[in-house]
Amino acid sequence: MIPLTWYLALSAVLFTIGVVGVIIKRNAIQMFMCIELMLNAVNLTFVAFSSYFGDVTGQLFVFIVMTVAAAEAAVGLGIIIAIFRNRESLDVDDASILRL
Amino acid sequence: MWNLLPSISQLLFVLFGAMALGCAVAMVAHRNPLYSAISLVGVFVSLACLYLTLQAPFIAAIQIIVYAGAIMVLVVFVIMLLNVEEEVRRPLRLTYLIPIGVLLAAVLVGEAAFMLQLGNYAAASPAMPATSDVGLTASIGAGMFTKYLLPFEVTSVLILMALVGAITLARQGRTPFLAAPGNVTEEPAVLTPAGELALKPGDTAATGRAYAREQIKSGDAAAPSAPAREEEKR
Repeated sequence: MIPLTWYLALSAVLFTIGVVGVIIKRNAIQMFMCIELMLNAVNLTFVAFSSYFGDVTGQLFVFIVMTVAAAEAAVGLGIIIAIFRNRESLDVDDASILRL
Repeated sequence: MWNLLPSISQLLFVLFGAMALGCAVAMVAHRNPLYSAISLVGVFVSLACLYLTLQAPFIAAIQIIVYAGAIMVLVVFVIMLLNVEEEVRRPLRLTYLIPIGVLLAAVLVGEAAFMLQLGNYAAASPAMPATSDVGLTASIGAGMFTKYLLPFEVTSVLILMALVGAITLARQGRTPFLAAPGNVTEEPAVLTPAGELALKPGDTAATGRAYAREQIKSGDAAAPSAPAREEEKR
Protein backbone atom coordinates (compact mmCIF):
# COMPACT_ATOMS: atom_id res chain seq x y z
CA MET A 1 0.00 0.00 0.00
CA ILE A 2 2.48 2.59 1.19
CA PRO A 3 5.66 2.75 -0.87
CA LEU A 4 8.84 2.23 1.07
CA THR A 5 10.01 5.62 -0.20
CA TRP A 6 7.52 7.41 2.01
CA TYR A 7 9.06 6.00 5.13
CA LEU A 8 12.58 6.74 3.89
CA ALA A 9 11.65 10.33 3.05
CA LEU A 10 10.03 10.88 6.44
CA SER A 11 13.10 9.49 8.13
CA ALA A 12 15.42 11.73 6.07
CA VAL A 13 13.43 14.82 6.97
CA LEU A 14 13.40 13.90 10.68
CA PHE A 15 17.16 13.33 10.57
CA THR A 16 17.67 16.72 8.92
CA ILE A 17 15.59 18.45 11.59
CA GLY A 18 17.83 16.82 14.17
CA VAL A 19 20.97 18.00 12.37
CA VAL A 20 19.66 21.56 12.18
CA GLY A 21 18.81 21.44 15.87
CA VAL A 22 22.30 20.30 16.81
CA ILE A 23 23.81 23.10 14.73
CA ILE A 24 21.64 26.01 15.84
CA LYS A 25 20.79 25.12 19.44
CA ARG A 26 23.04 26.31 22.25
CA ASN A 27 21.39 24.65 25.21
CA ALA A 28 23.28 21.42 25.89
CA ILE A 29 20.13 19.48 26.84
CA GLN A 30 18.36 20.54 23.66
CA MET A 31 21.33 19.54 21.53
CA PHE A 32 21.23 16.21 23.33
CA MET A 33 17.55 15.76 22.48
CA CYS A 34 18.25 16.57 18.83
CA ILE A 35 20.80 13.75 18.79
CA GLU A 36 18.11 11.42 20.13
CA LEU A 37 15.86 12.57 17.30
CA MET A 38 18.54 11.67 14.74
CA LEU A 39 18.92 8.20 16.26
CA ASN A 40 15.17 7.74 16.02
CA ALA A 41 15.11 8.75 12.37
CA VAL A 42 17.67 6.05 11.63
CA ASN A 43 15.62 3.56 13.62
CA LEU A 44 12.61 4.30 11.42
CA THR A 45 14.69 3.46 8.35
CA PHE A 46 15.82 0.21 9.90
CA VAL A 47 12.30 -0.87 10.81
CA ALA A 48 10.92 0.11 7.40
CA PHE A 49 13.52 -1.93 5.53
CA SER A 50 13.10 -4.80 7.97
CA SER A 51 9.38 -5.09 7.42
CA TYR A 52 9.44 -4.54 3.68
CA PHE A 53 12.14 -7.13 3.07
CA GLY A 54 10.91 -9.53 5.73
CA ASP A 55 14.25 -9.72 7.52
CA VAL A 56 14.47 -9.52 11.30
CA THR A 57 18.04 -8.16 11.32
CA GLY A 58 16.95 -4.55 10.99
CA GLN A 59 14.84 -4.76 14.12
CA LEU A 60 17.73 -6.30 16.05
CA PHE A 61 19.83 -3.32 14.96
CA VAL A 62 17.12 -1.02 16.30
CA PHE A 63 17.32 -2.83 19.61
CA ILE A 64 21.07 -2.24 19.78
CA VAL A 65 20.72 1.40 18.70
CA MET A 66 18.25 1.90 21.55
CA THR A 67 20.74 0.41 24.00
CA VAL A 68 23.44 2.75 22.75
CA ALA A 69 21.01 5.65 23.07
CA ALA A 70 20.28 4.70 26.68
CA ALA A 71 24.00 4.51 27.47
CA GLU A 72 24.51 7.82 25.72
CA ALA A 73 21.70 9.37 27.74
CA ALA A 74 23.25 8.27 31.02
CA VAL A 75 26.77 9.46 30.19
CA GLY A 76 25.65 12.59 28.35
CA LEU A 77 23.41 13.77 31.16
CA GLY A 78 26.23 13.05 33.62
CA ILE A 79 28.52 15.28 31.58
CA ILE A 80 25.82 17.96 31.38
CA ILE A 81 25.41 17.90 35.17
CA ALA A 82 29.18 18.15 35.62
CA ILE A 83 29.39 21.12 33.22
CA PHE A 84 26.49 22.82 34.97
CA ARG A 85 28.14 22.33 38.34
CA ASN A 86 31.33 23.91 37.07
CA ARG A 87 29.94 26.79 35.06
CA GLU A 88 26.38 27.28 36.34
CA SER A 89 25.20 27.47 32.75
CA LEU A 90 24.06 25.04 30.13
CA ASP A 91 25.02 27.23 27.20
CA VAL A 92 27.61 25.42 25.14
CA ASP A 93 29.20 28.76 24.28
CA ASP A 94 30.22 29.01 27.93
CA ALA A 95 31.91 25.65 27.72
CA SER A 96 34.00 26.39 24.66
CA ILE A 97 37.32 26.32 26.50
CA LEU A 98 38.32 23.02 28.00
CA ARG A 99 39.29 24.28 31.41
CA LEU A 100 37.68 25.81 34.44
CA MET B 1 -6.31 -1.98 -6.13
CA TRP B 2 -5.22 1.62 -6.54
CA ASN B 3 -8.11 3.97 -6.33
CA LEU B 4 -8.30 7.63 -5.61
CA LEU B 5 -9.41 7.23 -2.03
CA PRO B 6 -6.48 6.85 0.30
CA SER B 7 -6.42 3.59 2.12
CA ILE B 8 -6.56 3.40 5.88
CA SER B 9 -2.85 2.64 6.12
CA GLN B 10 -2.01 5.70 4.05
CA LEU B 11 -4.19 7.80 6.31
CA LEU B 12 -2.41 6.43 9.36
CA PHE B 13 0.98 7.09 7.81
CA VAL B 14 0.08 10.68 6.96
CA LEU B 15 -1.43 11.26 10.40
CA PHE B 16 1.49 9.94 12.43
CA GLY B 17 4.13 11.20 10.03
CA ALA B 18 2.73 14.71 10.20
CA MET B 19 2.54 14.41 13.98
CA ALA B 20 6.19 13.34 14.14
CA LEU B 21 7.31 16.15 11.85
CA GLY B 22 5.31 18.77 13.73
CA CYS B 23 6.60 17.64 17.10
CA ALA B 24 10.19 17.59 15.78
CA VAL B 25 9.91 21.13 14.43
CA ALA B 26 8.35 22.27 17.70
CA MET B 27 11.21 20.64 19.59
CA VAL B 28 13.81 22.60 17.65
CA ALA B 29 11.79 25.82 17.72
CA HIS B 30 11.06 25.99 21.45
CA ARG B 31 13.48 27.89 23.62
CA ASN B 32 12.33 26.25 26.84
CA PRO B 33 14.01 22.83 27.21
CA LEU B 34 11.01 21.39 29.04
CA TYR B 35 8.68 22.11 26.10
CA SER B 36 11.30 20.61 23.81
CA ALA B 37 11.31 17.46 25.93
CA ILE B 38 7.52 17.17 25.77
CA SER B 39 7.61 17.63 21.99
CA LEU B 40 10.26 14.93 21.75
CA VAL B 41 7.95 12.56 23.65
CA GLY B 42 5.37 13.33 20.97
CA VAL B 43 7.88 12.36 18.27
CA PHE B 44 8.62 9.09 20.08
CA VAL B 45 4.96 8.18 20.46
CA SER B 46 4.13 8.90 16.83
CA LEU B 47 7.17 6.90 15.72
CA ALA B 48 5.94 4.02 17.87
CA CYS B 49 2.60 4.22 16.05
CA LEU B 50 4.46 4.15 12.72
CA TYR B 51 6.29 1.02 13.89
CA LEU B 52 2.90 -0.54 14.58
CA THR B 53 1.81 0.21 11.02
CA LEU B 54 5.04 -1.46 9.90
CA GLN B 55 4.05 -4.61 11.80
CA ALA B 56 6.77 -4.27 14.40
CA PRO B 57 4.89 -4.44 17.71
CA PHE B 58 7.92 -5.41 19.78
CA ILE B 59 9.96 -2.42 18.62
CA ALA B 60 6.95 -0.16 19.16
CA ALA B 61 6.60 -1.33 22.75
CA ILE B 62 10.33 -0.97 23.38
CA GLN B 63 10.23 2.49 21.84
CA ILE B 64 7.57 3.60 24.34
CA ILE B 65 9.18 1.88 27.32
CA VAL B 66 12.81 2.82 26.72
CA TYR B 67 12.58 6.16 24.95
CA ALA B 68 9.40 7.78 26.18
CA GLY B 69 9.62 6.02 29.54
CA ALA B 70 13.23 5.82 30.64
CA ILE B 71 15.29 8.25 28.59
CA MET B 72 12.84 11.12 28.57
CA VAL B 73 12.15 10.76 32.28
CA LEU B 74 15.91 11.04 32.79
CA VAL B 75 16.08 14.15 30.60
CA VAL B 76 13.10 15.82 32.29
CA PHE B 77 14.56 14.92 35.67
CA VAL B 78 17.84 16.63 34.77
CA ILE B 79 15.99 19.69 33.45
CA MET B 80 14.07 19.95 36.71
CA LEU B 81 17.17 19.25 38.80
CA LEU B 82 19.24 21.96 37.12
CA ASN B 83 16.27 24.36 37.10
CA VAL B 84 17.05 25.42 33.55
CA GLU B 85 15.40 28.67 32.57
CA GLU B 86 14.60 29.66 29.03
CA GLU B 87 17.44 30.08 26.63
CA VAL B 88 18.63 33.67 26.95
CA ARG B 89 18.31 35.55 23.72
CA ARG B 90 21.76 36.96 23.26
CA PRO B 91 23.82 37.45 20.14
CA LEU B 92 25.25 34.28 18.74
CA ARG B 93 28.97 33.96 19.05
CA LEU B 94 29.03 32.47 15.60
CA THR B 95 26.55 34.61 13.72
CA TYR B 96 26.87 32.59 10.55
CA LEU B 97 25.65 29.47 12.35
CA ILE B 98 21.99 29.61 11.28
CA PRO B 99 22.68 30.17 7.55
CA ILE B 100 25.17 27.33 7.66
CA GLY B 101 22.63 25.12 9.40
CA VAL B 102 19.94 25.87 6.85
CA LEU B 103 22.38 25.35 3.99
CA LEU B 104 23.54 22.00 5.35
CA ALA B 105 19.95 20.94 5.87
CA ALA B 106 19.09 21.83 2.28
CA VAL B 107 22.09 19.87 1.02
CA LEU B 108 21.15 16.87 3.16
CA VAL B 109 17.52 16.86 2.03
CA GLY B 110 18.57 17.25 -1.59
CA GLU B 111 21.00 14.39 -1.24
CA ALA B 112 18.37 12.14 0.34
CA ALA B 113 15.85 13.03 -2.37
CA PHE B 114 18.45 12.28 -5.03
CA MET B 115 19.24 8.93 -3.49
CA LEU B 116 15.57 8.01 -3.21
CA GLN B 117 15.04 9.03 -6.81
CA LEU B 118 18.14 7.18 -7.96
CA GLY B 119 17.50 4.03 -5.99
CA ASN B 120 13.98 3.80 -7.38
CA TYR B 121 12.88 1.91 -4.31
CA ALA B 122 9.25 2.33 -5.18
CA ALA B 123 9.63 -0.01 -8.13
CA ALA B 124 12.31 -2.29 -6.75
CA SER B 125 11.04 -2.93 -3.25
CA PRO B 126 8.55 -5.66 -2.56
CA ALA B 127 5.18 -4.73 -1.20
CA MET B 128 4.86 -5.11 2.52
CA PRO B 129 3.44 -8.56 3.26
CA ALA B 130 -0.05 -8.50 4.64
CA THR B 131 0.89 -10.55 7.67
CA SER B 132 4.36 -11.45 8.77
CA ASP B 133 5.93 -12.71 11.96
CA VAL B 134 9.15 -10.72 11.51
CA GLY B 135 8.31 -8.14 14.13
CA LEU B 136 7.04 -10.51 16.75
CA THR B 137 8.90 -10.97 19.99
CA ALA B 138 9.57 -14.64 19.29
CA SER B 139 11.43 -14.07 16.04
CA ILE B 140 13.40 -11.13 17.46
CA GLY B 141 14.39 -13.20 20.49
CA ALA B 142 15.38 -16.10 18.30
CA GLY B 143 17.61 -13.87 16.21
CA MET B 144 19.07 -12.12 19.19
CA PHE B 145 20.11 -15.24 21.09
CA THR B 146 21.41 -17.29 18.18
CA LYS B 147 22.97 -15.37 15.33
CA TYR B 148 23.53 -12.09 17.12
CA LEU B 149 24.46 -13.37 20.56
CA LEU B 150 27.90 -11.74 20.60
CA PRO B 151 26.66 -8.20 19.82
CA PHE B 152 23.99 -8.66 22.46
CA GLU B 153 26.57 -9.57 25.09
CA VAL B 154 28.88 -6.73 24.04
CA THR B 155 25.92 -4.41 24.51
CA SER B 156 25.67 -5.47 28.13
CA VAL B 157 29.33 -4.52 28.65
CA LEU B 158 28.56 -1.15 27.06
CA ILE B 159 25.71 -0.60 29.49
CA LEU B 160 28.00 -1.46 32.39
CA MET B 161 30.59 1.05 31.18
CA ALA B 162 27.91 3.72 30.82
CA LEU B 163 26.72 2.99 34.35
CA VAL B 164 30.19 3.39 35.84
CA GLY B 165 30.89 6.48 33.73
CA ALA B 166 27.64 8.20 34.68
CA ILE B 167 28.18 7.56 38.39
CA THR B 168 31.75 8.82 38.20
CA LEU B 169 30.78 11.96 36.30
CA ALA B 170 27.75 12.99 38.29
CA ARG B 171 29.02 12.07 41.72
CA GLN B 172 28.45 14.75 44.32
CA GLY B 173 31.38 15.96 46.38
CA ARG B 174 34.92 15.22 45.40
CA THR B 175 35.56 15.48 41.71
CA PRO B 176 38.21 12.84 41.37
CA PHE B 177 40.25 14.34 38.58
CA LEU B 178 40.18 17.92 39.73
CA ALA B 179 40.98 18.13 43.40
CA ALA B 180 41.41 14.72 44.92
CA PRO B 181 43.88 14.61 47.79
CA GLY B 182 47.28 14.26 46.23
CA ASN B 183 46.26 15.91 43.00
CA VAL B 184 46.60 19.49 44.26
CA THR B 185 49.95 19.24 45.94
CA GLU B 186 52.18 20.88 43.37
CA GLU B 187 52.28 24.61 42.67
CA PRO B 188 48.78 25.84 43.44
CA ALA B 189 47.68 28.59 41.14
CA VAL B 190 46.10 30.78 43.81
CA LEU B 191 47.73 32.07 46.98
CA THR B 192 45.94 34.04 49.66
CA PRO B 193 47.47 37.39 50.73
CA ALA B 194 48.81 35.66 53.84
CA GLY B 195 50.64 33.27 51.60
CA GLU B 196 48.75 30.12 52.40
CA LEU B 197 47.42 27.78 49.82
CA ALA B 198 44.05 28.57 48.41
CA LEU B 199 43.48 24.96 47.57
CA LYS B 200 44.24 22.51 50.28
CA PRO B 201 44.49 18.80 49.72
CA GLY B 202 41.00 17.48 50.11
CA ASP B 203 39.33 20.54 48.69
CA THR B 204 36.78 19.92 46.05
CA ALA B 205 36.38 21.85 42.86
CA ALA B 206 33.27 23.46 44.32
CA THR B 207 35.04 24.85 47.40
CA GLY B 208 37.88 26.11 45.22
CA ARG B 209 35.46 28.01 43.04
CA ALA B 210 33.60 29.45 46.01
CA TYR B 211 36.94 30.58 47.43
CA ALA B 212 37.98 32.23 44.18
CA ARG B 213 34.63 33.99 43.97
CA GLU B 214 35.07 35.46 47.45
CA GLN B 215 38.58 36.58 46.61
CA ILE B 216 37.29 38.40 43.56
CA LYS B 217 34.46 39.96 45.53
CA SER B 218 36.74 41.26 48.28
CA GLY B 219 39.23 42.63 45.76
CA ASP B 220 42.08 40.37 46.78
CA ALA B 221 42.29 38.84 43.36
CA ALA B 222 41.53 40.11 39.92
CA ALA B 223 38.67 38.59 38.05
CA PRO B 224 39.80 36.22 35.35
CA SER B 225 40.15 37.89 32.01
CA ALA B 226 39.59 34.85 29.92
CA PRO B 227 38.01 35.43 26.55
CA ALA B 228 34.93 33.67 27.80
CA ARG B 229 34.40 36.32 30.44
CA GLU B 230 34.65 39.09 27.90
CA GLU B 231 32.12 37.29 25.80
CA GLU B 232 29.74 37.27 28.71
CA LYS B 233 29.98 41.01 29.24
CA ARG B 234 29.06 41.78 25.69
